[in-house]
Amino acid sequence: MSYCVNCGVELDKSSRECPLCNTPVLNPKELNSQVWQGMAGLNTGEVRTPFPEEKGQVETVKRKDLGILLSIVILATVITCGGLNFLVFADSAWSLAVIGACVLLWVLMIPVVIYTKLSAYLALLLDGGAAAVYLYMLTFLTGGSRWFWGLGFPIAVLVTALAEAMTLCIRMLPRSFLTVALYLFTAVGLLCVGLELMIGYYLEERIALRWSAVVLTVCVILDIALITMLSRRRLRNEVRRRLHF
Amino acid sequence: MANERTDKGRSAGKGSSAEKKKKVQRRDWYQLDLSAIVYPTLQRRDFSSVYRLSVVLKEEIRPEILQLALDRTLPRFPTYKAAIRKGLFWRYLEPNDRPGPFVQEDVRNPCQPMYFKANNRYLVRVYYFRNRIALEAHHSLGDGTGGMCVLLTLTATYLRLLGHEEIQNGGFVLNIADTPEEEELEDAYMRYANAKVCPPRLEEKAYRVRGTAEEFYTLNIIDGIMSVSEVMAAAKRYNATITEYLNAVLLHALLTKQQEDRQVHLRPVKIAMPVNLRRFFPSVTLRNFITMIYPGVDPRLGEYSFEEIVLQVHNYMRYHLNEKLLRGDITTNAATQRNPFIRVVPLFIKDFVVRLFYTKVQDRNSSAGLTNMGAMKVPQGMEPYIERFDIYMGQPFSRRTNCAIISFGDTLTVNFASSIIEADVERYFFRKLVRDGIHVKIESNRSQDEAGTS
Repeated sequence: MSYCVNCGVELDKSSRECPLCNTPVLNPKELNSQVWQGMAGLNTGEVRTPFPEEKGQVETVKRKDLGILLSIVILATVITCGGLNFLVFADSAWSLAVIGACVLLWVLMIPVVIYTKLSAYLALLLDGGAAAVYLYMLTFLTGGSRWFWGLGFPIAVLVTALAEAMTLCIRMLPRSFLTVALYLFTAVGLLCVGLELMIGYYLEERIALRWSAVVLTVCVILDIALITMLSRRRLRNEVRRRLHF
Repeated sequence: MANERTDKGRSAGKGSSAEKKKKVQRRDWYQLDLSAIVYPTLQRRDFSSVYRLSVVLKEEIRPEILQLALDRTLPRFPTYKAAIRKGLFWRYLEPNDRPGPFVQEDVRNPCQPMYFKANNRYLVRVYYFRNRIALEAHHSLGDGTGGMCVLLTLTATYLRLLGHEEIQNGGFVLNIADTPEEEELEDAYMRYANAKVCPPRLEEKAYRVRGTAEEFYTLNIIDGIMSVSEVMAAAKRYNATITEYLNAVLLHALLTKQQEDRQVHLRPVKIAMPVNLRRFFPSVTLRNFITMIYPGVDPRLGEYSFEEIVLQVHNYMRYHLNEKLLRGDITTNAATQRNPFIRVVPLFIKDFVVRLFYTKVQDRNSSAGLTNMGAMKVPQGMEPYIERFDIYMGQPFSRRTNCAIISFGDTLTVNFASSIIEADVERYFFRKLVRDGIHVKIESNRSQDEAGTS
């Protein structure tokens, strides 16, 4: 029977320290043998702990059935549309639009129902890749791939890169209502600039800013306001107080 | 109520006319009771409103017999052999005929989140560990009294299967051959929420314990085992009951913690304490029938001595625990659910609003939770097989500690459950008891990693 010298409570035989104040339990009479056995890596005999030693795991919700069902429905859509296109309405490759959409849908649902442990970055990358593939499939319908390489693909890359960067910022940097707003406005500004540059280059082969400069200006002003609020604690607290919900 | 889909005619026809109690035929579904509506909305990946009741017997548990006992017992409790489902406007319970629940070996981190679609949709878990049978149930099925009925009926069935036929029914032990009475499955709140006025509730934000969050799924437990007579003697010295005394000790511990925290702005220290309404309003319901009261002290008014805290708690309890005020409280709670405009709001909006209200208001009204199940009584013939009971309020919603008290014979157990690393509140609590001359034995699952094999 041991008592904690600090708290005065009786402790269980298996306790090596007091659960209340973390004071080690040492019996001066048995100190030498305890130390010697500890050094030799020997057990001091079977001590029964009051609680089980095994940690439990939470039962997982099985979404396998839903995953299988959705995958089969999507696969069936792909096969039947492909068959219909090949055998009946064979004048154009219209089924590519449906098949591409199905592939995109399937990739989007991977992290939700098929593999829930998928990293968010990888999931976004796959989503961007699937969107690019879908756009490329559409080039077979439109008769040329110039728009894809000049516009579709770069926009898909830009949106994916911005989404990845924003996820990274939200996960790695301090997260609050104000910081998320900061990341969002920055991303919107960059997206608009990127879009105008790409569209301008594709249509007129010139690199110039017009409407996106206005959006960028607004975003920069908002960003500066947010950075000021974030850097001044008093201001930050005031804003939080007034906007709390 | 819309859920009265009971085939009452058939039930009445089958039941003997001499039998006055209404027996129910199996229902298709059950509406959630007034309290149970809140718990599922608070469900998070790392939190479920799960409580745990356990009984320590004098012999090692035999799992195969326990499983047999569970299979025979659970059909007697249709609201526990149920799954929760979503409707367009409210959630509801429906009978669950899937295989299970299965007894399993106990784990070190009890009261884990209970996902509604996992575990064959059961919201009940039964564990065994050496001499202990533990029942974990989601709060949306019922409160501690209902859970205790399930646990004790299961234990009695288990002991009878082991050959102890002398155990009688009565109290918490129900006859498993009986059909459930209608009153056992009712939402008793609605029967008693009939005050002519809805008294407003004005609760101020309370002090909140700040602590370092434990890693996911960890529940730190500290049990204090003591003698009822010693605690009673200490409480008598302050002219208080055991509940009032232990409440005051917890308030004292929280006050000390607030002082140690060196907070610039002091806040009132309050305890959320569930009150079993069956004591005031006759009902045999096995579902939720509790309401919360918040005894506390405000250190901004001046420094409280321990005697003053006890007196404050004593007076608070005397004032609040009466049928009239409690009826008003239930009526206020029921008013929102009865409002026809609120009823037609889609469930996801209700969920959002309730969660927001709970996180921003309700959860901040108290510094800790404390529940006292009181002295457990078991039917004749069962007493020799039982050593003690344990009860855990489960994982706290926010970073704090919850305390639950239960006694059996001369053993009183105070069970703390928290999801923070620091054990300051527990330390101040038990040290105060030791200073008041009570012998406390501590058992904990903290730091068992090192203690496990050596």
